[in-house]
Amino acid sequence: MSESQTKSQFVAVASIAAELSAVMEVAKEISLAAANAKAIAFRAGEKARGFQPITDFINDLAKDTIALVNRINEHALQLYRVTVNEQRTTDACKRFETVALLAADAAYADSLTWPLQQAQLRMHDCRREFDTHVGTLLDQLTEVMHPARAARVIAANSRIEASQAGEYLQSLQAVAESVDHAAQIIHDKVHRCRSALSLINTAAE
Amino acid sequence: MKMTKIYEGAYQWIMYGRDPHKPEKIIDTNQYVVRTAKRCLLIDPGGIELFAPMLAAVLHHAPVEEITDLFASHQDPDIISSLGLWDQALPHARLHASGLWEGFLRHFGCESIEYVAIPDNGGVIKLDSVELQIVPAHYLHSSANFNIYDPHAKIFFSGDIGAALEAPGAPIFVDNFEAHVEKMRYFHQRWMPSNQAKRAWIERVRSLDIDILAPQHGRIFKGDDVRRFLDWFEALQVGIAV
Repeated sequence: MSESQTKSQFVAVASIAAELSAVMEVAKEISLAAANAKAIAFRAGEKARGFQPITDFINDLAKDTIALVNRINEHALQLYRVTVNEQRTTDACKRFETVALLAADAAYADSLTWPLQQAQLRMHDCRREFDTHVGTLLDQLTEVMHPARAARVIAANSRIEASQAGEYLQSLQAVAESVDHAAQIIHDKVHRCRSALSLINTAAE
Repeated sequence: MKMTKIYEGAYQWIMYGRDPHKPEKIIDTNQYVVRTAKRCLLIDPGGIELFAPMLAAVLHHAPVEEITDLFASHQDPDIISSLGLWDQALPHARLHASGLWEGFLRHFGCESIEYVAIPDNGGVIKLDSVELQIVPAHYLHSSANFNIYDPHAKIFFSGDIGAALEAPGAPIFVDNFEAHVEKMRYFHQRWMPSNQAKRAWIERVRSLDIDILAPQHGRIFKGDDVRRFLDWFEALQVGIAV
């Protein structure tokens, strides 16, 4: 792997961590919006009967997203560690090869063969581990798209229910808008994570 | 990498340095190796950039499996930032360094090598039948700092003490002490923080029988120049930046 590929790997992993941290914040906002909607729906009583179960759905979706992002974050952290290890073993291999060239006429040059082979094995192991982690992370990122998509559908339903809530129309519509907006942000950020990951996956091939 | 034997008896002391391929902007360093029958100690093995030429040079004197010990006088990058690479090349080896620096030095990568923590009052490194004394030199310049004394070969590795900033390719030994002083003055005045630590070190070192004083930068002192250096250092005011 070239130096620029290793650098882009570090940048990609760091940017994924940053995007995920933002997703977490947005999911917490959805959770707050759900609590707010529940309070409004309670005050609206009969007029917002259809809205009440929706607030529970919104809350569940926010919780699911937070749990998923927590798992993804753990994986992203492992990916970062693997990236560091891979960078170290790749660098070591490169330098051991330089030693072999410089020490060609040294009395004990042959003794370098075993450490060089070990370093090459470690480098390949790291590469495999990296690929496995990237694959798992891509799957998890696909998974986190599902609640975001569901949140958008729920937001559309919420707008319909809000239209029948009389004087609470505006408040409940604002809740629906905020859920829709948050879901869109999550969708975009997760998409960016996937793009960054796909990019390093391609670069490493 | 230039290799110079500075002691040869039942075992050897070899100095490695003056690497012509060293990147221009990194400081030149002297690495020392003590080679006994079946073991090999690398003293201040150097920075990352020096790893390949240093290991290649050592392979002229010892196979990888017999490079069993590393010593780091302190934590600076020119001393031991190559640790992560040695860690992969010599997983069987031991690193002797101050216990105070352990959590710091591990940042360079130390997964396989055993970290042997040196207490503040020093210790001993045994290589086959050779016993090397680890001599405290705290605050000169690092807060946890050690030198190495070989009472049999009468060699004293002094780390940054006695260091000089030289032009590339400078001779290995001091040949004109008076002329050499100016290459050491600012380095010692600025880098060494404590006159009290300096006096304690001089008192300790004067009690030792030394033929060669070998610093980590610049030239090596032999014979009367060792005493001249101690006298000069004793009279020098250090810690001038405050």
